[in-house]
Amino acid sequence: MLKLPRKRARVASGAALALGLACVLSSCAAPSGTGAGEQEEAAPGFLAVADDALDGQGALTVQLDYDTSEADGLDPATAQTARSWSIMGLVYETLVTADENFEITPELATSWEQPDDTTYVFTIDTTATFSNGRALTVDDVVGSLQRQVDSMSVWSGQMGPVESIEATGDDQVTVRLSSPYAPFLAALANTPAAILPMQEVEDGSLDLTTTMLGTGPYTVDAHRQDESWTFSANPNWRGGDDLAVQTLELQIVDQETTRQAALREGSAGLANFGSIDALTQLADAGDVRVVNQTQSDFYYVNVNSQVEGSPLQDQDVRFAINTAIDRQAIADIVFAGESAPTGVTPSNLPGACAVDALPSEQASLDDARQVIEDSGAAGTTLDMIVYTSEPVMGQIAQLVQQQLAEIGVTVNIEQFDTATYNARVFTAQPGDFDLSLGWFAGYVDPSMVTKWWNPEQAGFNVGFTGVHEDLNELITAGAEATDPDERATVLADLCATADEYSEIVPLVHRPSIIGYDSAELSPTIQSNEGYGDIFRDITAYRLPAASE
Amino acid sequence: MLQQLRWSAGRVVSALITLLGVSILIFAAVRLMPGSYEDIILGPLASPEERAALAAAYGLDRPLVLQYFSWIGQIFSGDLGTSFVTQTPVAVELGARIPVTALLTVVALVITVAVGIPLGVWTGVRSGAKQGGAIGRVVSGLGISVPEFVLGSVVVFVFSRLALGIQVGGFSQVGAGFGPTVQALLLPAIVLSVFCVAASARTTRDAVMNVLVEPHIAAAVARGETPWHIVRHHVMRNAGIPILTLLATITAYLLGGAVIVETIFNIPGLGSFMVTGLDRRDFAVVQASVLFAATVFIVVSLVLDLITSALDPRVAVTGKAGS
Repeated sequence: MLKLPRKRARVASGAALALGLACVLSSCAAPSGTGAGEQEEAAPGFLAVADDALDGQGALTVQLDYDTSEADGLDPATAQTARSWSIMGLVYETLVTADENFEITPELATSWEQPDDTTYVFTIDTTATFSNGRALTVDDVVGSLQRQVDSMSVWSGQMGPVESIEATGDDQVTVRLSSPYAPFLAALANTPAAILPMQEVEDGSLDLTTTMLGTGPYTVDAHRQDESWTFSANPNWRGGDDLAVQTLELQIVDQETTRQAALREGSAGLANFGSIDALTQLADAGDVRVVNQTQSDFYYVNVNSQVEGSPLQDQDVRFAINTAIDRQAIADIVFAGESAPTGVTPSNLPGACAVDALPSEQASLDDARQVIEDSGAAGTTLDMIVYTSEPVMGQIAQLVQQQLAEIGVTVNIEQFDTATYNARVFTAQPGDFDLSLGWFAGYVDPSMVTKWWNPEQAGFNVGFTGVHEDLNELITAGAEATDPDERATVLADLCATADEYSEIVPLVHRPSIIGYDSAELSPTIQSNEGYGDIFRDITAYRLPAASE
Repeated sequence: MLQQLRWSAGRVVSALITLLGVSILIFAAVRLMPGSYEDIILGPLASPEERAALAAAYGLDRPLVLQYFSWIGQIFSGDLGTSFVTQTPVAVELGARIPVTALLTVVALVITVAVGIPLGVWTGVRSGAKQGGAIGRVVSGLGISVPEFVLGSVVVFVFSRLALGIQVGGFSQVGAGFGPTVQALLLPAIVLSVFCVAASARTTRDAVMNVLVEPHIAAAVARGETPWHIVRHHVMRNAGIPILTLLATITAYLLGGAVIVETIFNIPGLGSFMVTGLDRRDFAVVQASVLFAATVFIVVSLVLDLITSALDPRVAVTGKAGS
């Protein structure tokens, strides 16, 4: 095992030059003074705060990218992607939500108590009503949570060891767990745990796969898959009927430049961008303001250990590759300093492990080179596959290619569409690749994403990762630990152990650039986001009176 | 006459065989591509059992031959299938998108005919002069060599940055009335027509130049006819067939879906529909869209052949138009 605690020396000039050329060709550039770390917050934890002096009401047009999918179905319980969570979150609400500091705060539950480590007693806001006018009941809450737990969906695994869910009063629901589970409230704070109109679901008058009916601030007027959504303010929403954004036109626009153009010319009031180039390209666009919201989401590289005869079956070779990958260089060169390195636990979440302490960050490039030579892997050519729908993946791949060349490993980059990528990485057994790039949603609790390092829990990574009992025990311990100090220790061990196995290697955070026309819209935007919810604070948005 | 009828029947049979070949090719191609609908819609987190269940639900686990004949049977009964993603009949989806693409095609064609043909005639007539030849070469060279994705991206950037008052980045609400529709389609149609203008200008110029050296033109000049009269009555009539052939080909090509331009300008037309369907492995959408585009192309070519043979019977005998 390669564990040499030496300061790593990095020669990134060649890589920087190559990426610089790529950046010239693809127009990426270093933003001036708009770095995620350099941005001025409008208030602690917020990149923008809506101006309460504005009292207009009207329509807002938002253009979003396609992302991994526009919205995968209409049933929130089975929604897998952040884009789905955002869109469905306009219609549905959850018991609790997360604030700008990733603290859990009330939503449909006005309060909760925790009499012991495994019991949660929620007081439900029974003044809330669904958009059909029916009042929310505790049965809706019990039924919704039970439906999620029973669904065997991806999110049911995040709900933890739920033992029972029962109504214990007219406005009280009690959830009991079989063992302590620290991220339970965080799991309840995301759209898949939304409270559904279970009465209508159970009597068959509502099909959740075709109709959206929630207690949230908006209702769906129209939807054309992959093209557009139109939402109207829900007059029955418990937060009041005075929302500034009365009509929300949501347009799915795949091309980044087209969304920029819409923001420039005023045909969209708000748009999101995946490329940090938007920070500079829109810097001189009149009233347009652009911010870089730090996501807990992060990019990773899969190092396939499951192909018979591959040099990557050797843990030392994988660790050497991990050592050669310079996360900070990726953040600095590919993302022009607008991102930051992370370990298994997203580094912007409270209690996350320190990236600098990872064994691969402590080891040196010379040792990595030596391991590659000694193992006979020198001169090896590895196929790295990426998907084309997120152009920055290609740029990361180029830099990793340069970095691995420094230890004598040649990387052949292959780019595919998403379906081909998924088939080769996740469906093929073993995975049909050596290295692959992807990204994980980071969620709002640092232990949640760590489950994806356990193939017995995750399932999708069986084709490229092995089962490691010590790592799995740490993953379980990380979720169970409720004492902050104990948790920090466990998560640090977890990060280090996963780093040594080097099968899924975290890289840097995935930026989310949000642009808005400040003449038409005064939004509230958090500095950090865990569930990729671009509409998290839409009910706080303000519009100038002129837009009425 | 009998020979011409036999030739026309042969062209129709040939067109039908081509369509059958296209249907087999597209059916096989989408299924040979790595990745499937399950990989997209269920995502990476789904279990093998979930994938298998979804494949069975859509009949994707049946033998390919059975799937093909089932699809062809549906086509003959007027059913283009149902989109996996939207759960809407593909015919309905196509019905919403074909008018958009058709409108875009019409606007692009109007620009092509209004600019390309007069330019071609002018440069053809002035082919001996330095000015005309140079302009013709520059325009057609530039127009043909600049890719649509480059031109489209530049146009989007320039028009949005300089705020020239023409909608570029907005969602194209085609069908929202004449004004907004034309505004939404103007820039994409201009981008789309640049290649067509260049190609039609070059073809027209060559056709005009070929006609100008014919003896009957010299006779017309000798009779003292005016240049405009000669162009209108002698040159354009004789240069018409290659120009019409090109315009028909362009029309068929554009109706098949201007994929790149529709994507850049976010126009919900046939081309972008096809690309989205391909990305999501929505087989019914891709198969129906490609078959529609191929049918348009083949039918337009067939009609053009039949018209050409009617105008010039030598086509049916020799297989090519006389000069």
